[in-house]
Amino acid sequence: MELLGLALALFGAALAGGLAGVGSAIGVGIAGESAAGVMSEDPDKFVKCLMLQALPGTQGFYGFIIVFMVMTKLNMFGTPLVVSWLQGLMVFAACMPVALACWFSAISQGKASAAAIQMISKKPDAVGKALVLPAMVETYAVLSLLTSILLLMFGVQLG
Amino acid sequence: MGVAELKKAELYYHKSLQENVARIVQRSGVCQIIESEDEPDARLMEAQAQLAVCEGQEAHLRYLFRALGSHYTDPVSSIGRMLGEKPVFSLDELGELAQETDLKELASSVKTTESKLNELRIEISQLKVTAGVLSNIKDFPYPLSVLREGTQTLKGVLGTFSIAQLDVFREDLAAYSDETELFVAPQKTKDKDVWVVLLYVRAREQEILELCAKDGMTFVDLPVHISETAAGEASKISDRLVECEHEESAILQGLARTADEWMPALQGMSDYWRILRDRYHALATSAATGSTVKTCFWVPAEAVPALRKQVEAVGPAVAFIASDPTEEDHPPTLLKNNAFNRPAEVLTNLYSPPVYGQRDPTSSMAPFFFLFFGMCLGDAGYAIVIASVLWMLFRKYRKIPSGTKNFMNLFCAGAAATFLYGLVTGSFFGDFIDSFPFMAFLRPLKDALLLVDPLKDPVTILGIALLLGVVHLMFGLGVAAYDEFRRGNYADAAGGKISWILFVLGLLLVGGGSAGKLPSFLYIIGVVMAAAGTGLIFWYAGRGEKNVFLKVGLGLYALYGSTAYLGDILSYSRLLALGLGSAVIGSVINLLGKMIVGVPFIGWLLAILLILGGHVFSLAINLLGAFVHAMRLQYVEFFSKFYTGDGVNFTPLKFQTQYVEVFDEI
Repeated sequence: MELLGLALALFGAALAGGLAGVGSAIGVGIAGESAAGVMSEDPDKFVKCLMLQALPGTQGFYGFIIVFMVMTKLNMFGTPLVVSWLQGLMVFAACMPVALACWFSAISQGKASAAAIQMISKKPDAVGKALVLPAMVETYAVLSLLTSILLLMFGVQLG
Repeated sequence: MGVAELKKAELYYHKSLQENVARIVQRSGVCQIIESEDEPDARLMEAQAQLAVCEGQEAHLRYLFRALGSHYTDPVSSIGRMLGEKPVFSLDELGELAQETDLKELASSVKTTESKLNELRIEISQLKVTAGVLSNIKDFPYPLSVLREGTQTLKGVLGTFSIAQLDVFREDLAAYSDETELFVAPQKTKDKDVWVVLLYVRAREQEILELCAKDGMTFVDLPVHISETAAGEASKISDRLVECEHEESAILQGLARTADEWMPALQGMSDYWRILRDRYHALATSAATGSTVKTCFWVPAEAVPALRKQVEAVGPAVAFIASDPTEEDHPPTLLKNNAFNRPAEVLTNLYSPPVYGQRDPTSSMAPFFFLFFGMCLGDAGYAIVIASVLWMLFRKYRKIPSGTKNFMNLFCAGAAATFLYGLVTGSFFGDFIDSFPFMAFLRPLKDALLLVDPLKDPVTILGIALLLGVVHLMFGLGVAAYDEFRRGNYADAAGGKISWILFVLGLLLVGGGSAGKLPSFLYIIGVVMAAAGTGLIFWYAGRGEKNVFLKVGLGLYALYGSTAYLGDILSYSRLLALGLGSAVIGSVINLLGKMIVGVPFIGWLLAILLILGGHVFSLAINLLGAFVHAMRLQYVEFFSKFYTGDGVNFTPLKFQTQYVEVFDEI
C-alpha cells in the first residue's frame, strides 16, 4: 500500500492532462467545423480562421503544465518520492481545478470560437473583437491553472 | 498626437475639367469623398455612364480570372504581394494597355474554348460509361445492331438481373424456349448483378418484354451509333477516347498558354479598371448643374495647402473651399501617432477607431500592450526568433505597405519587451541554457541578469502582475476623469472616476498596512482615501434622489460595483499563467530532447529535430496566446474604463490596387 499515495497523485495528474486534452480536442473540433464551412466560401480567410480555431487548444497545454509540475514535485524524473496516501490525495485535489475547468471551458470556448469564425465570415474587419470573445472564456481556464499551481506549490507539503 | 484634424473641402469646377480634377484628387490619396445628398438626377450623369463601362470591363475580367486563374502559376507569391512585391506601372501605360485590349473578345474566345472543353469532357465521360457496359458483354458474338434495329424476324434486349432473379427468369423463359436465346455474361464473384442479352422473335416482342420487366430486369440502352460486335465497338471507343484525351490536353495547354500570355496584363488591367471605377464613382456621387460640378470630401488639415495648389493649377474654373466640420457633420477618423505608438494603431482600429474629436487611446495603451505581451510570451530566445524573422522580411521586401508594416512593427516592439522580460526571468528557449552543457558559457550571464524565476517564485510574479493590473486600471480611470474634467463634467469626474481610484487604492493601502507590509502612516492614509472614495461614491449614486433611504440604497448598490474591480484586477493573473506556460512548455521540450539524445547513433539528430520542432510549435501557440491576451486586457479591462470607439475609419479615394503598384505623373 505504500505506493497508494503516488498512485493517487498520478491519477490526479493524469486526469488534469487527460480531461483538459479532451476538452481542447472537442473545442478545437467544434471551431474547426465552423472554420471549414467559412473557408469553403472564402479560402483566403485561412489564417484568421486558424487563429480562432487554435484558441480552445490552450487548455490542453494548461493540463500538461500541471502534469509536468506534479511530476517535478514528486521527483519523477529521478527517484520518485514516497508519499503517504493523504499527501497523494492532496496532490490529486490540487489537480482537479485544471482538470474540470479546462475540460468544460475548452468546449465552451470552442463554441464561442465557432461563432466568432462565423462573425468574421460576414465582417472580416472585426477580427479583433472576434478574438476577444473566445478569450473571455479562457479567463476561467487561466484562473484554474493558477489555482492548481498555487495549491501544488503551497498547499501540498511533501517530503 | 491622436486623431488628425480634418477639413471639409468643397471643390467647384467646370464640367470639362472633371477628368483632370478627379485624377488629381485620386492621386493625392488624402480625400475621402462625401456622397452628395442631392437627388440622383442632380448628380453628374456622364460619370455614371463611365462607371457602367468600368463595371462591364471588370465583369469580363472577373470571368477571365476565374477561367484562366487555375491554369496560371503566379510568379509572385501571395505573401510577397501582401508585403508589397508588385510590378510597377504608370497609370498611362495601363491606360494604353486597357485601350488596346478588347477584353470582351478575349473573354468570348476563352468562353468558346471553355465550352469546347466541356463538350469534350462530357463526351469522354459518356464514352467511358459505354465502354464499361460493353466490357460486361464483350463475349456476346453477334453485332449489337440486333438490339436497336434487329433483323426481319429477330430482335434483342440488353439489361441486368440480380443473381437471385436470374434463375426465376430462366424458368419463366422456358415457355418460349425455341423462340429466344439468352446470353448471360460471365460473372465475377463479387457481382450482385449479372448482365444478359436476350434475343427473341420479333412477333412476340411485347409479351417477352413484359415478362422481363415482371422478373425485375433493368433495361440498359446503348448509344445509337453502336452497331458492330461488342469487342469491335470497344476497340473503336478506346481509339476515340485516346483521341479525345489528346484533344483535351491540347486545349488545356492552349488555355495555359493563354493564361501565361495574358494574366500579367489582365492583373494590371484589373487594377486599372478598379482605379477608374473608384474615380468615376466619386464623380458620379458629385452634385452637378448644367456646367458646374461640386465634389465634397474630407481631407487632413495638413494636406490642404498642397492639394489646393494642385487643383487650382488645373485652370481658373476651379474653386477650392476648406472649412472646419460643423456640429451636424460626422467626420471619419484618421489616427496620427509618433513612431513608437504608431504600430499600436492597428490595435485601436481592430477594436474600433474613436469618434472624430474624441481621445485616441493608442498612446495610453501602447506601453502596456508591449509590456503585457512581453510578460505573456516571456522568453528571450523566442524574442530573438521573432525579431530575426521580421528582420529578414524587412530586408527582402523593401516596399511593404504601411498597414502591414505597422503590424510587423507591433511584433518588433513586442519582441523587444519579450526579450527584456526573458532576460530578467532567465528564460531562453525555456531552460535551454541550464539543460545542455554546451550552453554553459552563457550561464553566468543568465544568472547575473536573473531577477526572479517564475518557476521557483510564482507568487512574486503574481504580485507584480496584479499590481500592474491596478496601475493599468487606475490609469484608465485617471484618463477618464481627465476627459470628464475637460468636458466640464466635474461631478462625473469626481463621483464616477476619482471616487473609485481613491476607494481601490485606499483599500490596497489598508490591506497592505494591516498585513504589516507597509508603514503605519500609509495605513492611515489608506483609511482616509477609502472613506473619501466611499463618501464620493454614495454622494454620486444618490445625488438625484431626495429620499434618504433611497440615497443610501443606491450608494450601497454602487459600492457593490466594486466586485467588478476585484474581477478586473484578478484578470491580470493571466500574465503569470501565460508566462509560466511558455516557460514550462519550453522546459519540457528541452527535457524530452535530453532524454532522446540517449538513443544510439541517431539520438543527437532526433534531439535536434525534436527541440527545433517543439520550440517552433511552442512559439506559435504562445505567440497567439500572448497577442490575444495582451489585447484582451486592453479591450476588456482598460478600454471599458474610458473608451467607447464607435468611429469610422478614414478611407480616402486612392489607387487601391491588388496586383500591381501604380504611379501617376501628370
